[in-house]
Order: sequence, then C-alpha cells, then structure tokens
Amino acid sequence: MRKQFRDTVTELAEADERVVLVFGDISVFLFETFTRRFPGRFLNLGICENTLVSVAAGLASQGFIPFVHTIAPFVTERCLEQIKLDVGYNGFPINIVTCGATYDYAWDGPTHQAIADMGALRLLPGVEIVQPGTREETDQLLRARYASGTPTYFRLSDHPHGASLPVEFGRGQVVRDVGGPVTVVTAGPILANVLPAVETLPVNVLYYSTLKPFDAVLLSRYAHTRLVVVHDATGLVEQVCEHAAGPVTRLGLPDRFVSCYGTIQDVRRDIGLDVEHIRRTVVDVLSSLPGVPARIKVA
Amino acid sequence: MTPAARAAREWALRCSQAAGQGHLPSSFSIVELVLSAYAVMRHDPAAPQWPERDLFVLSKGHAALGYYCVLAQLGYFPPAAVERLGAHRSTFGCHPDRFKVPGVEASCGSLGHGIGIAAGMALALQLQGSGRRVFTLIGDGEANEGSVWEAVMVAADQRLSNLTILYDHNRSQARCLQIPNPAERFAAFGCATADVDGHDEDAIVAALMAPSDTVKVVVGRTVKGYGCRSLEDNFFEWHRKSPSPDICAELVSELHAKTI
Repeated sequence: MRKQFRDTVTELAEADERVVLVFGDISVFLFETFTRRFPGRFLNLGICENTLVSVAAGLASQGFIPFVHTIAPFVTERCLEQIKLDVGYNGFPINIVTCGATYDYAWDGPTHQAIADMGALRLLPGVEIVQPGTREETDQLLRARYASGTPTYFRLSDHPHGASLPVEFGRGQVVRDVGGPVTVVTAGPILANVLPAVETLPVNVLYYSTLKPFDAVLLSRYAHTRLVVVHDATGLVEQVCEHAAGPVTRLGLPDRFVSCYGTIQDVRRDIGLDVEHIRRTVVDVLSSLPGVPARIKVA
Repeated sequence: MTPAARAAREWALRCSQAAGQGHLPSSFSIVELVLSAYAVMRHDPAAPQWPERDLFVLSKGHAALGYYCVLAQLGYFPPAAVERLGAHRSTFGCHPDRFKVPGVEASCGSLGHGIGIAAGMALALQLQGSGRRVFTLIGDGEANEGSVWEAVMVAADQRLSNLTILYDHNRSQARCLQIPNPAERFAAFGCATADVDGHDEDAIVAALMAPSDTVKVVVGRTVKGYGCRSLEDNFFEWHRKSPSPDICAELVSELHAKTI
C-alpha cells in the first residue's frame, strides 16, 4: 500500500501543484523518483512529528495540500494535540498517511505499534479516518479525499486483505449477505482473516474502509441481527456501539501491551484474531442465539 | 513608553476590569514587541485579509488581551469591543481565535504550537517565491516546550529568512525551568539573533530591520506587568487576576506616572 501511496501521490502532484510531501525521514528511498521530479515539493524535515504536523498546517494555511508521512504511532499518538489544534481547530486541512498499522512491525514491540491512533483521532471534530485494505482501495480513497478541505487520516498497512471490493469513501460494503442471524463488522486488512473464518457459517459480513464519517445507514440494515465487530485496531467498535441498537460482541485489541514480537500473524494468533479464534467466537455467538437450529450453527 | 503602548496598556487594564479576565503581566510585557512587529509589517487594518499582507502569529496565546489592545490601537477594531473578553459569545476569547478576531492568523493557546505553524507559513511563502514575511511571538515559559526547539531547528535548517521569532524574555520561569541565555541557544540552533530592550520600540524595530539570510530571533528583555509598579512587583499574584474598579484606577495612575 505504501508503494501505491507513492504512485498515486506522484500522479496527484503532477496534476495538482498544491501537493507537497512532508516526511519524517521514513520511506525516503521509496520516494527517490518523486524527489527528483518535484524537488521543491518533497520536504523531508526530520524526525520531529510534532513539527511535521504544525508545519504542514502552516503550509495548508497558504493553500498547499500537504501529505504528512511517517510511522503511524509517531504521527498520531505522539502529536495528537498538534492534529487537534493546529490542523483541526485552526481549520488548516492536511493529509496524514502512515505505514506501520497496529502490529505490522510486530518484531519491534509496543513502541512501534499504533493502537490508539484511530480510536483517538475519531474523537477529534472533523477528522476523516480512512483504513484501506488493499492497494486499489488506497488509490481510490486517496484520490477521493486528498483535497477534501478537511483533515484526513489514511492508515496504510503492509498486509492487504486481497479481496477486490468496490469501495467508496464514507460508505460501508456488504461483502457477504446470507440472511444470517449474525453480522460480522470489520475494517481494513483483517478482512483477510474474517472471510475464511465465516466460510460456511450463516453469517453476514460488512466491511468499512472509512471509519469516519461512519456509514450508520448500512449498519442499521442489519440492526435485527447480532453484531460481532472484528478489528485489529481501535475506532470501529466505538462507531458500531454508538450506532447499534442491540448488544455487540467485540473481538479486538487486548487491554495490555503486546510484546510477543514475531510477525503480525503470530500476534494475531496470540490475541485471538487468527482465523480459528474468530470462527470459534462467531460460532459461540451463533450458538447463544435462540431459535438458530443446531445444524446451521456449525455447518 | 510611546502613546500607543500606554494606550494599549490602559485599555488592557480597563478591559480586564470590565471582563474579570485576562493575563495582565504577560499582556503588558509583549506590547512593544507587537507594536514594533506591526511597524515593520505590511498590513492593512481596514483589510485584514489583504493578500499581500505579512503574517503575525501570537504563539503565546495567553497574552491575547495585550495583543487585542495593540490591534485595537492599530485600528483593527474599537478597543472597547475587548471589554467583553471571555464573555459568552464574545469575539474575544482569552486565547485568540482566527475565525473570530480580525488580524489573527492562527488560533493559539496551548504553548509550543504557533511557532511551528508560523514556520510552515514561512516555508509555504518561500516555496511560492513570495516576498511576504511571517512574525511569531513566543514566550520564555513557552520555550520550555520541546516543540519550540523542534520548530526552530526545522526553520533554521530550511533557512527561512522570511521568518522572525520575537522572544518575550519576561523571566516568567523564575520559579522553575529558566533559560538564562536564550540568544546563545537560538544562535546555537542556527538562527541569526539580536538581544534588545524589549520595551524600546526603536531598538526592536532596528533589530527587525537588520538583514538576515536565515531565521531571525529577536530576544526582547521585558518585564512582566511593565508600566505598572504594582504588577511589576507582584506578577505571580497578578498572573491571572483582574482589578476591581478602584484598583484599576490606581493601576491606570501608576501607568501614567511612569515617565519612561
């Protein structure tokens, strides 16, 4: 997805001279061509995320469209107040595009895990939150919102889900509708584990690539079903709980720091976001519902 | 003290008394620094959004009262409007809001933010090849914030010769984290520096006019509550205190008794 960011933003910069990149000394090698092509518009300012955001706000105040880019936790959790005030309150819109989603860098431990980013940014007035699941989604959503006039957070991952979905900014997608009594609500790359987990089960699947603004209309169409939120990040379950009429089962981040290292799949297994555990949870929810015949509970 | 500086302070006292709001000591320490900046800036009080204007960012937003009273002296709005400082639905909050107050370019309050925004504005103008300039006023207490020094490093690295940082060295941090040699520190960070009497408008203007090929820092040695003996002597007590009508009258007398 990071390569897609490079390709898309290069095309955007070609067509729109307001586009400038503000980098925190990450992905610089990847953007070598961009640097050569648009030398004045590639600003690798240093490892100073607070200032990256403040400076980008100042650039936006004079008509530029800045893309701030570095690793997710550093440019969201570290500088939350710069995003809140310099960008949000001041109305100086910027794009924040990150790599290193949640456990992408599992081997680096909790210092490099973005866990509160989307949950916290969701609380800031006017901030749009986009979590693409593939390169195609990244391209489409960047083009749709880079000049939206409001701050937009694009949270990219190195682990796309592989499905091909016709995503649209601000809209959720029905990935699977079997008329089942349970609906799994998910967002971003973890869809890769959700789809095999619910195979053969009477379960619907809703997919969100935009967490804010949240497509509550789509969710309301499934209000009569039992909702299970599966998400390896924060932000989605809060949106669902704010809009759901009934109980919501949550399968998400644990309330502890995850320092088991290894790969993202190792971590997902340790915290119960692997295919088997997701399936077991969904089956348990199905089994708990009255009137669901035993034979379709575990088909 | 120039008539404009004295008038700005007198209005700050009256507005603080009327509103029961405002940080008087820091509002008083910045008056000459702000007046001097606007003396060299291209700006038009009748057209605050004039596209060719220079930009001013009050990074130490809590000195808003003093800033408003200077803007009023320059003609941006009538000074009596500021008597509703901090009142419900007032234009004038205790920290400035760019969407409400004519002349305010960035909304600031939490310390260590405005200087970074100002650096971004200067960088934008430099990229556009514009001759417009950016001025930002920070405080010595604010310079306790690490983000100030991040922004200074970046501004110096980008050689933002169109950015001037006015440093209100009013020794507000006498009881905790002091920065005894600010000009040396800014110079070590790669800035061109000047160290002047922060209540001498001629000296400040001369420092502002001096040519520089990189970001410039003008350290103004100032006094909290400058102009009123009671405020100068008891600035901790007056940090966020407003005078009663009687005390206000006494403070106005002190202000006019000051002969410098």
